[in-house]
Amino acid sequence: MSNIAGKAYAMNVITPIRWYMTWINRLIFKIALKNPETLKGLITLSLIHYARWVIVPRSGFPRLDPSQPKEDLQYSYMLFFSNFNGSWDQYVDSFTFAIPAGLDLFWKWNIRYPKSVPLTPFHKYIRHNQIDTLHYYNAYPMASSNDIKSAQKIKKALIDFNTTSVNKTPDDFLKDYNKLLIDLQHHFGDMKPTPIVSLSADAVKKRYLQSHLNSN
Amino acid sequence: MATKNGNATALTVLSPIKNAVMGETSCADITRERCLSLPIHEKSPLARVPNTYLARLFVLDDVYYESLPASDCVFNFSDITSFFSDSARKKALPRKDHLKSKYLVFSSNFYGDLDAYLAGLWKNWSYIDLSGNQRDVRHIWEYCVAFDRVTDISSFIDYIKRCQLDASLFFNGSTDDSLQEQLKSLYLKQEFTRFAIEHQGKNAAEIQQDFKTFIQRVQPENLSSPTWPPGKSAP
Repeated sequence: MSNIAGKAYAMNVITPIRWYMTWINRLIFKIALKNPETLKGLITLSLIHYARWVIVPRSGFPRLDPSQPKEDLQYSYMLFFSNFNGSWDQYVDSFTFAIPAGLDLFWKWNIRYPKSVPLTPFHKYIRHNQIDTLHYYNAYPMASSNDIKSAQKIKKALIDFNTTSVNKTPDDFLKDYNKLLIDLQHHFGDMKPTPIVSLSADAVKKRYLQSHLNSN
Repeated sequence: MATKNGNATALTVLSPIKNAVMGETSCADITRERCLSLPIHEKSPLARVPNTYLARLFVLDDVYYESLPASDCVFNFSDITSFFSDSARKKALPRKDHLKSKYLVFSSNFYGDLDAYLAGLWKNWSYIDLSGNQRDVRHIWEYCVAFDRVTDISSFIDYIKRCQLDASLFFNGSTDDSLQEQLKSLYLKQEFTRFAIEHQGKNAAEIQQDFKTFIQRVQPENLSSPTWPPGKSAP
């Protein structure tokens, strides 16, 4: 199992929802899509790379051949996949404390959803319905989603600065350079492997070192 | 359809695994073992697949029974009727569901269009397993239902599309730049941060001269080099 890839954690949650209530969820998701400000809480939390909600109708599991038994389900299912920075507890707790109403809106119609407040039943609900990842790949294990957004700003600023200021007199160059550093100060930072904060992260590191030993 | 958010795409694939046993091991367990033994980070086969931001594989064995106590938002008549009737109390329990197949789940967040991405997946997924054998993408999907009909790029793309589920909501908390652009930006962030630290307190002419040398070295507009390789896990 490998829910961790560098600074990212892969969460998979599958929860049942009454098939005749899925239209409400679809409507809520559609409204959220059309009005991105409804997701402002998630953006402010700033710890997610990418996340998605997928509703699988009870007759919607892929069936590719007549030899494959047809699913006979009483509920539809909602899949939630997230790629976030930090630990499991930090992520789940930040939802509860920062955007509990939004969270309840997305899961409200799921069977036995306990609501995001109080915390302990919500923790149990997520743990109960979570599936571990077997292989998790992250193109930038050393970077958080904030690093990627900061890097985008630094690249643009660096190219602009190089175009406008590099051939000025040394004193004017320094003035612009100092302004550049002040403008970018919140975006700097040395990126390194994430500290080992859990037994799972330690296990991933050991697997990585072992695979390197095997290949050398 | 919410499978796209700007240039970023969310691919969700559920491929049914054959309900068969090979020797003493089920096809699902063979698939699980193969996913588990994929090399990670830079050596993951997904590091070779162009424009993959983050991706994962797991096996969905079954759905869960909601056995935990919680109130059920609108269907609480049973709270009243169950005072009077045992059967009403029992009927208020959630139903039990079981899947008849296990599913290999592949979820990927990537830049660009689906067909080009899947073609890249077919062509570039490659790694050497622990026994020293060269493996391609067919090794992971081998025991999935109807995958034996996949013989080339176009049949692979068709197959994955048959297994694809649309996202109802795809949230992008990062950027939707190409992976090359993201990796180059991260490389520049790292290098420029170090440059700024090393040049604190130096005089204007020296910083200017060194900055020109720095720009020549890092080539900010050259996306292919120098840059971070995909999956880079150590400085």
